Amino acid sequence: MTEHLVLKNGVVFDPMNDVDGEVMDICVSNGKIVEKVPGNAKVIDLKGSTVMAGGVDPHSHILGSKLNVARLTSPEVNRYHPYPATRKTRSGVAGIIPSSYATGYLYSAMGYTTVVEPALPATKALGAWEEIEDIPGLDIGMLPLFCNSMISFKYIEEGDISGLAAYIAWTLKKVGGLGVKVVNPGGTYAWAYGKNVCGLDDEVPEWDVTPRTIMTGLSDAVQKLGLPHQMHFHPTNLGKPGNVYTTMQQLDALKGTKPSGKKKETVHLTHMAFDCLGVVEEGMANWKDVASGGLTFADYYNKNKHFTTDLGQITFGQSMTMTGDGPFQHSLYLMTGGKAKWSNIPVDVELPGGAGIVPFTFEPKSSANAVQWVGSLEFALSVKDLWRLFLSTDHPNGGPFMKYPLLMSWLMSKKQRDLWLEKVHKFASERSTLAEIEREYTLNDIAITTRAAPAKILGVEKTKGHLGIGADADIAVYGFNPEKTDLAKNPDLILKYFTQTKFTFKGGQQISKKGVIAKQLPSRVISVHPELNEDLSRRIDRELEEMMSKWFSHSFSNYPVPKRYREHLEMPTVIDATSIQA
Amino acid sequence: MNNGSVKVLVTSGRTLSQGRAMEKGKMTSDYENAVAVCELDSTAMESLGIKNGETVVVKSDIGEIAVKAKLNKQLVPGIAFIPCGPYFNFLLDSYTQHTGMPGFKSLTVSIDAAPGAKILTVEELTKMIKEAT
Amino acid sequence: MTEANNIFKDVPCTFCGCLCDDLIIEVDGDRIVKNTNGCPISKERFVGHTENRCLQPTVNGNTVTLEKAVERAVELIASSKRPLIYGLSSTENDAQREAYRLAELARGVVDNTTSVCHGPTILGAQESGEAAASLAEVRHRSDLVIYWGANPAAAHPRHIPHYIRQPGEYIKDPKQDRKIWLVDIRATTTARMADRFIRIEPGTDLEVLQTLRALIRGNKLDATEVGGINITELEEIAAAMKSAKYGTLFFGLGLTQSWGRHRNIDAAIRLIQDLNAHTKWGMMPMRGHYNVSGANKTSTWVTGYPYAVDFARGYPRFQPGEYTAVDMLARGEADVLLNIAADPVAHFPRAAVSHLMKIPVINIDPKINMTSQVAEVNIPAAIAGIECDGAATRMDGLPLYLRKIIEPPQGVIPDRDILRMMIKSLEKVMK
Ligand code: SF4
Ligand SMILES: [Zn+2]
Repeated sequence: MTEHLVLKNGVVFDPMNDVDGEVMDICVSNGKIVEKVPGNAKVIDLKGSTVMAGGVDPHSHILGSKLNVARLTSPEVNRYHPYPATRKTRSGVAGIIPSSYATGYLYSAMGYTTVVEPALPATKALGAWEEIEDIPGLDIGMLPLFCNSMISFKYIEEGDISGLAAYIAWTLKKVGGLGVKVVNPGGTYAWAYGKNVCGLDDEVPEWDVTPRTIMTGLSDAVQKLGLPHQMHFHPTNLGKPGNVYTTMQQLDALKGTKPSGKKKETVHLTHMAFDCLGVVEEGMANWKDVASGGLTFADYYNKNKHFTTDLGQITFGQSMTMTGDGPFQHSLYLMTGGKAKWSNIPVDVELPGGAGIVPFTFEPKSSANAVQWVGSLEFALSVKDLWRLFLSTDHPNGGPFMKYPLLMSWLMSKKQRDLWLEKVHKFASERSTLAEIEREYTLNDIAITTRAAPAKILGVEKTKGHLGIGADADIAVYGFNPEKTDLAKNPDLILKYFTQTKFTFKGGQQISKKGVIAKQLPSRVISVHPELNEDLSRRIDRELEEMMSKWFSHSFSNYPVPKRYREHLEMPTVIDATSIQA
Repeated sequence: MNNGSVKVLVTSGRTLSQGRAMEKGKMTSDYENAVAVCELDSTAMESLGIKNGETVVVKSDIGEIAVKAKLNKQLVPGIAFIPCGPYFNFLLDSYTQHTGMPGFKSLTVSIDAAPGAKILTVEELTKMIKEAT
Repeated sequence: MTEANNIFKDVPCTFCGCLCDDLIIEVDGDRIVKNTNGCPISKERFVGHTENRCLQPTVNGNTVTLEKAVERAVELIASSKRPLIYGLSSTENDAQREAYRLAELARGVVDNTTSVCHGPTILGAQESGEAAASLAEVRHRSDLVIYWGANPAAAHPRHIPHYIRQPGEYIKDPKQDRKIWLVDIRATTTARMADRFIRIEPGTDLEVLQTLRALIRGNKLDATEVGGINITELEEIAAAMKSAKYGTLFFGLGLTQSWGRHRNIDAAIRLIQDLNAHTKWGMMPMRGHYNVSGANKTSTWVTGYPYAVDFARGYPRFQPGEYTAVDMLARGEADVLLNIAADPVAHFPRAAVSHLMKIPVINIDPKINMTSQVAEVNIPAAIAGIECDGAATRMDGLPLYLRKIIEPPQGVIPDRDILRMMIKSLEKVMK
């Protein structure tokens, strides 16, 4: 099917190609952005509209067992948010953890076209592929977890980075992963013993590994393989006052990893709002003394260039915390006085202690929540280089992805921030400098932090995150004229325009119009298949068969996700890792 | 000796032969043999004056049905067991306490000896329910 | 297929929630001749798969073509006011997903067999969450395993021998280093396999669980006996649970179906949560049908809710007690039943069955069952995991790929394809 399209006269923000608010025509042919199209191409006039590449969200929990356990245990969060079927679309629910179809539709309506599920237990990948069939309209990636796996530990214990890299390569191929996720390295394993880790050199029960050796081993292995996306890292001590210091220590510890390619960054620190809490001067590491860690961390970020990050912004109101960090989730449950619903899901061998799920409400009037809210905003408004940062709420942890427009409004409008500082606990003003910050994100800044930078961080910038020739024709058209609309003075308009695009195009096809889904496109899966040399490949097949047969409770041959679930969805990028010696 | 009725709490559940027979087919005599059974403890058997394999009639608030008595030495007095299936369910009310779940595990019944009484086949049982509707 | 003695390895068994995936199945011609590793029920399922089959679609007892049967089924659904779709736990995930589509289109109710097995487990988890367990982790680490109101010897024959009485990485001797206890109202065959049997009075699960919670919290109780167990024994049990390194509670219908229902589960969940303040504990429902966990999962991601889902308003609503199959029938509300891979006539209480006999029933199943006897439309289906592939979920949430071993009988197709035909034809009618 050949389809040609010209999007005329839109005001384009395409920072990857240095286009900052220019009126331009965009030509689309066969799902790609091209130089020119034949005369019979369909023309859409976008005069007075804002045009950006489709949004890219590298960290949003949109599928998997933890999300389904959350939906199953908390019907009340969705009950008041029905999502009716139409002639073209399926029904569902659209509360803070929307059902699968609604997830796809809501992202499309917001102009997002690429989303990554950042915590996949590889053992359960088959279920994830099935779910993707029911999440329409997106390109989806998945990051398997490697950080608390007995198999990783075995290779790390032996200092065998080739073996570790080969295990990663094998897994990415067999289950269709995009990169490597690390969550509380060693801590979730220790949780199988009712314990946790906090220091870099803490012991991990039964194994001669430490958080340090696990995280550096994995980041070395990722670079050795030359994966496009650097290690995606959720540090230890999540959600603890003062953890900005231990987070910086951990990032320091990861400096030893040498980048293998052009990309300088070797680690992605995720949801910094949860990782970078400060304490007041001379204070103790407790909630009474918690302060914004935003400035401290911005300073570190400005000086240290080996990592990227995302916000994990909390947005107030009901949320659903879910992480592969079992002990953190348990501590959150204890913080509610044992009143919250606490769920824990161990996964054979790969996550023995388990992922956790706890519904949580972030209260504007809670001092702790207000400080956490302000920290990431202070950070985002204090960093120099936006190309190493993307916007996120760690959906649904800090709030649902549907609240991205609200997050944008805080960054784009001082007026909006002042309004909110009034509403929230006074510690937000007293224990941060947010009130004094004048900076307001421009539309170009928004385009960087919601499309261009996340695409680069994921390593998919060839086809995603921009509107240059050769890019996928994933395009968001917003219904306002940037030359005539003062968004900073009218934050409500930010919410209005960014919640619903005027049009969203996916692969050149118009999938939504004013928030209404026009066409249900099946999602596709982006993955990375590292090719190993024959010796290493043979070795890893043999070693994994031995370990998996011994350790898993199901058969080795039933571990990979069969072709029948993948063929029609997967777009693997093959990378050459044959230089890794067996 | 026959002392008349015995009152017990009857519970239902899975048995290995019920599982196997179910796989084979519900319209087989294997299935009927596996589920048209009431397991009783020895005191109940004695006071009913029946032997293993004889027929009893089990009566609940909503109906009664004949099944084969089977001695289960592991049971304590006051408890009987009928494998899950149509015979037990014939006696069971449909009240779920608004949960969707009927009371499969706790049905008060009285049991009478009925040597020689006919045990309905699965097909006959279905027909009987149908005719009653 | 004419090849003699084809051997298939690592085949998942599609009977119970253990989903043992180590079967070796031998095929001779168009027959399965051997099932190695399977338990007796599994052997019956595989080797006996051709027995008692429904081979031809029928309408009112008359053999018809598949198209005609589908046409009649769609007529019945299209003309109904309150269609109920039920079953789905003994089929693979794709069939379930199609069933939700059909329910949405017909604006009906879709419920799976969860409502009569572990529905209360889900309700308990909706109250309190759940600290779950996984099977390999139990094998590697669990030194105290308690079965409560479960009889795996009858319902999950390989649960103990295949998963639990096996050595693990940190439990070298599964007899010495791991203790298995059984709590039940009667000494079932499982009692013989357990290291300890604790008999409780019928209907006292909730009291016993709450007593254990109180004792674990260090409270003294003014009682000499709870649920027929002496308080000193209860104290000793509580202490043992607290001092286990990694405990696991497997629970069955003895807890979900008995007096208290979801309140029992809620108490069990809270007990396990309390224990995690002292040591490590997890719990797992002994899911019966091989893919009832899958039915909850697919229903949850597609509709947002695990079972008892109503589409009357064009979007999913969830309400056990209202949209659960037994209630829908016993209230006389459903006016047509589409039953897929279940046997409500055998397994529902009488009032529900009586109503079901008054309304048109469409029955899709590989075998002749009690529901086929009363159904107006019977459509035979291929057996998932034997005659067609698919995916299913083990009781601990692990997804597994089911195999197609041999061809289904002539003209017989998988559930999902039958449902797709119905959807296509219903879409036309609804336009
Ligand atoms: S225990 Fe269950 S899954 Fe395993 S072989 Fe027996 S019936 Fe099949
Ligand atoms: Zn996350």
